Amino acid sequence: MTHDNTNRVTPEISAYLAPRRLDEALQAMADGDATVLCGGTDLAPQTESGARQYKAKLLNIRRIDSLHGIEIKGGEIRIGAATTISDIRRSAALAEAAPVLTEAAGHFASEQIRNAASVGGNLCNASPAGDMSPPLLTLDAAVELACWRDGAMQTRRVALDQFFLGPGKTVKQPEELLTAVVFKQPAADFVGRFRKSGPRPALEISTVSVAFGARLVQGKLSSVRVAMGAVAPTPLRARHVEAALEGQPLNDAAIAAAVAATAQDAKPIDDVRASAWYRAHLVRVFVEEVLNDVRRD
Amino acid sequence: MSVETEIRFRLNGREVCLKVPATMKTLAMLRDKLGMTGTKYACGEGECGACTIKVDGKTVNSCLMYAVDCDGRELVTVEGLRAPDGLHPVQQAFVDHGAVQCGFCTPGMIVQAHYLLENNPGLTREEAQRGLEGNLCRCTGYTKVLDAVEAVAGKGACAGGKGACLGGRAPDAA
Amino acid sequence: MEKTTAASSPAKQTLIGQRIKKPDAPDKATGKTRYINDMVLPQMLFGKVLFAGRPHARIVRLDTTAAEKLPGVHAVLTGKDAAGLKFGFVRDNVALKDKVRCEHDEIAAVAAETEDIARRALELIEVEYEDLPGVFTPEAGAKEGAPLIHENFPGNKSLHFEIQHGDLAAAEAGSDLIVDNVFRPHHVTHCCMGTSCAIADFDHNGKLTIWTQTQYPYNYKMDLAPALGINPGDIRVIQPPVGGAFGSKLDVYPYEPIAALLAKKTGRPVKVMYSREEEFKASPTRQAAIIHMRTGCTRDGTLTFRAADVLLDNGAYTSWGPTIPVIMMRTVSGHYRVPVVDFKAQAIYTNNPYAGSFRGYGNVQTTYATAQQMDMLADMVDMDPLAFHLKNAQKSGEVTPQKSFLRECALTECLQTAAEASDYSRKRKEYAALREQPGRYKKGIGLASSIHNAGGAKIHKSDGIGTILKMDDYARVTVITGASEIGQGIDAVITLIVAEELGVPLEHVTIVNNDSDIAPWDVGVHASRTTFIAGNGTRRAARKAKEQILRAAEKMLGEPAQGLALRGGSVVRDRDGAALIKLDRLLRQMHFQPEPELVMVTDYYEPKSEPEGAKHISDHSAAYSHAVHIAEITVDTLTGEITVDKVTVAQDVGRVINRMGLEGQIEGGIAIGLGYALSENMRIENGMLRNPGFRDYKLITAPEMPPLDLHFIESDCAEGPYGAKGISELPTIVIAPAIANALYNATGVRIFNPPMSPETVARAIHEKRQATTQAA
Repeated sequence: MTHDNTNRVTPEISAYLAPRRLDEALQAMADGDATVLCGGTDLAPQTESGARQYKAKLLNIRRIDSLHGIEIKGGEIRIGAATTISDIRRSAALAEAAPVLTEAAGHFASEQIRNAASVGGNLCNASPAGDMSPPLLTLDAAVELACWRDGAMQTRRVALDQFFLGPGKTVKQPEELLTAVVFKQPAADFVGRFRKSGPRPALEISTVSVAFGARLVQGKLSSVRVAMGAVAPTPLRARHVEAALEGQPLNDAAIAAAVAATAQDAKPIDDVRASAWYRAHLVRVFVEEVLNDVRRD
Repeated sequence: MSVETEIRFRLNGREVCLKVPATMKTLAMLRDKLGMTGTKYACGEGECGACTIKVDGKTVNSCLMYAVDCDGRELVTVEGLRAPDGLHPVQQAFVDHGAVQCGFCTPGMIVQAHYLLENNPGLTREEAQRGLEGNLCRCTGYTKVLDAVEAVAGKGACAGGKGACLGGRAPDAA
Repeated sequence: MEKTTAASSPAKQTLIGQRIKKPDAPDKATGKTRYINDMVLPQMLFGKVLFAGRPHARIVRLDTTAAEKLPGVHAVLTGKDAAGLKFGFVRDNVALKDKVRCEHDEIAAVAAETEDIARRALELIEVEYEDLPGVFTPEAGAKEGAPLIHENFPGNKSLHFEIQHGDLAAAEAGSDLIVDNVFRPHHVTHCCMGTSCAIADFDHNGKLTIWTQTQYPYNYKMDLAPALGINPGDIRVIQPPVGGAFGSKLDVYPYEPIAALLAKKTGRPVKVMYSREEEFKASPTRQAAIIHMRTGCTRDGTLTFRAADVLLDNGAYTSWGPTIPVIMMRTVSGHYRVPVVDFKAQAIYTNNPYAGSFRGYGNVQTTYATAQQMDMLADMVDMDPLAFHLKNAQKSGEVTPQKSFLRECALTECLQTAAEASDYSRKRKEYAALREQPGRYKKGIGLASSIHNAGGAKIHKSDGIGTILKMDDYARVTVITGASEIGQGIDAVITLIVAEELGVPLEHVTIVNNDSDIAPWDVGVHASRTTFIAGNGTRRAARKAKEQILRAAEKMLGEPAQGLALRGGSVVRDRDGAALIKLDRLLRQMHFQPEPELVMVTDYYEPKSEPEGAKHISDHSAAYSHAVHIAEITVDTLTGEITVDKVTVAQDVGRVINRMGLEGQIEGGIAIGLGYALSENMRIENGMLRNPGFRDYKLITAPEMPPLDLHFIESDCAEGPYGAKGISELPTIVIAPAIANALYNATGVRIFNPPMSPETVARAIHEKRQATTQAA
């Protein structure tokens, strides 16, 4: 007895598929009646609790080689959807090119979960508190969505800040598969930071998280990206905070303006993890903290 | 009933072949289908680590892993760590250092500790604390668990790993 | 023919105070141990419980027809199957309910071939409820006209306790300073890693065998019997290894009689095991309370009185939780020398989950108040808290107003040791001076102490233990004892004592302690009593065996028994250590001689303590003990996050028995206390638990565990085994107020409603800063 609700009264799963090729997977998804399985770290608890129902087909995409790996080509970084958080955390290439992702991966759940959870799954889960979303938003990342249409594979790219619609909801169509997350290799003068709440290093659902990215040339900020988790129904770009900083020297006045602007971006709610007051307070603290941290370095 | 799938994999070095429902988790398969009760159920949602097993050299929460995905893979549970002539050095260290009280978290804790040491033989106490953050224990306050792991670190007792370091100190080549 | 020589016999080396491994650890470390959760019996059915999922309601309609018809279902039970089978302290509980009084009320239960079928059957049970207005705080429950939860408990009043000692009005008038606060300790829960589980089976003579996690096997029979309408004598309790207990398994919870009722109905063994979510919702909590406490002192720092008015959130039923005032009052009256005491506690029924006993048993909540008020008073009289504590600390031989006789009191030594080891006084001053300086991170150091029973607690008519010790022809020893093993390590203690007394190797000792048909009476693992009580029982039995063996040796060897000893598996001459005969050989000779004798002794040990009594004025424990914790923390004043950098502990342990087990109990006790202090919190809103999982109910994890500096003070308790006292609850009790006092030292903020979660601390600091700004 393990309380594995293996046979919870749900629509029956009539097929289990574990293709090795992407086109096979996309064909299996064409009718929109497939539940995608990769690491299972979100799917398992959500189906156990009844928060999510299985569809007729269970489609395991973890065995598709082309969905794994971190690739830097032509100034673009491409992380396959099935790449685990551990792979991201240990990637020397990412540590070099986008250390903010390495840092966020280090705060992600626990080692056992990091070893199983995929970056694609984390994004598709569309939790407002998803740990990978804020840093990827600051990197101007996009997701690649693929589907099988008219006998061929079709792909489209959606900017990550257009991807999330609400908790658990994205623009991805049921027949589409998220195949990769891509972003331009940040410029040499790009600085990034990630800050997540909680006294634990990890194993913590964010009460609030803040990611910051910008180019810093001679003390002046440009291409500023600020993203926040758990302050709204989706992870979001904090456009007012960004505007307060864009083109500004990184000084006390700019930091104060950025902190003040958080109120226009963060619209947190009260829930079991924190009050709206505390979330709004933490956002201010973290924005100030990451900016001071960048200034110090 | 969900469709059943036949899978084959290696469990603690032995070939296993069985049919599992598509939604069954590896933990339920181990305990209820194979009678391997060393791996424990304590939360069922990946928050406690009591069900930690090693799959293809990496630890995962078996309560979150779909049994069908075991197909073709290599599983190691706490029962598989035991050396032919007695306890594995990590298991022995847990015994010697008082890291076992009620013992319910111990199998998961030991599998995770073994994995950490395998990948970072010179593991420090701080790295062990981080590495065990996904394993809850209500009895020991972790102090003796960390003592045990520290005692094994540096002795090469979990050799056979790929030498990849955790904790971001010496990352694999991507 | 064995040869014994003087040279082969080791000199006397005591095992007392050594580091002894737990005998069951190897099997636990290899996954071989079969916990109750792992057990499967032939023909076993799976039981599942239908919970109400609403806090207060009338059951309008209940239809189990469809569930009963589902193939594979063997029995469906509802309230009418348990009607009249009341159990619990005041007989207000029943295994299956006919009215809903809390979220986890058990409405129906199913036994089926598989767990899955049982679950499907539950889904087929139709229940129609009429929700009733609920009561969710004790204040609301005590109000006139509040909805009544039990018809036969007017005013929603459950248990009441009080003691008075001395003239309160005079003491108040004679006080220069009085602190007056309301503390609101919260709901937390045990979080045993192994979830609740029971397997029940009836034989055809009507005898019930129940495999259970109880830590209290003999009273368990008495408590379970009325829930089934059978004689306690017809219950056999088997205790397989358990995944933790911490006090939660003193209670009979409804799933246990449900398993038995299902077993009775089906004639087959039935197992009920909770999921983690069910465990969170339907297992005991630590008692939540509202503690209005006042403490007074004179300007020279002498305590004058302590008064506490406690309102307990009883929850829907009366279990062990609302009995905690028995211990709360000992702390109110005995935590430092308090000449005048006034204590009242009233438990009020609410529609919240109900509490059981939990390591620390009322003292966790009380010390959170007393130890902070000590700190506040010290501040008000402008004394170093250490000096203030020392001034009011009792000495050996003092008697508290409740007649707790502090025969061996090491409080002063504990205070001095911990303060010196942590450089407390210097750091406290330094951090206090930095408190109002700018800077985001603040350091703080806090001192707290408490008193707890350390020689059992005679809350029943008996606090005793039976022990049977037998030796076989190979000098292997079996100890048959009532003392339960729940992970705490009494197995190692018993093994150590037997080896110490009989000179046999540790591996030659077997313990049988898990079957009430075999093992004799004991009052269970609680009240920090097991090392003390079972240690004494084991030692007494072993000494009886030793006497018998040495008498036989005297006859056989012609050496006087008083000059002989047992060491290294032999009978030796005490004077020079010369080995005279191997023990196994002697035992065989005893057994097979013309006048044969077996070594097979019994002992019943009842500690020299007085029954608690209705007036609560009695020396209810055979020993009392103190612990001092000094916590050093760093506070992020913006996020409110507290990092515990170090904890220094000085505890009067009487005497160290198994050093490794002792350390483990203190470390683990502190971890539970840290969770209570910082992160654990059952978010119960309108009677419904909002965070029934480890994701949002946060236990302390490995990276959060601070380094501990442990100091054991050996006061040598005359009544304790080798001088030992009970130890396991104080670590859980003292840590939270030590952190609270450190938080004050760091920030000037006090938290009266634990936990000191980041949000609570951040808000308090924020509000204090705003108030300061406004005042300026």
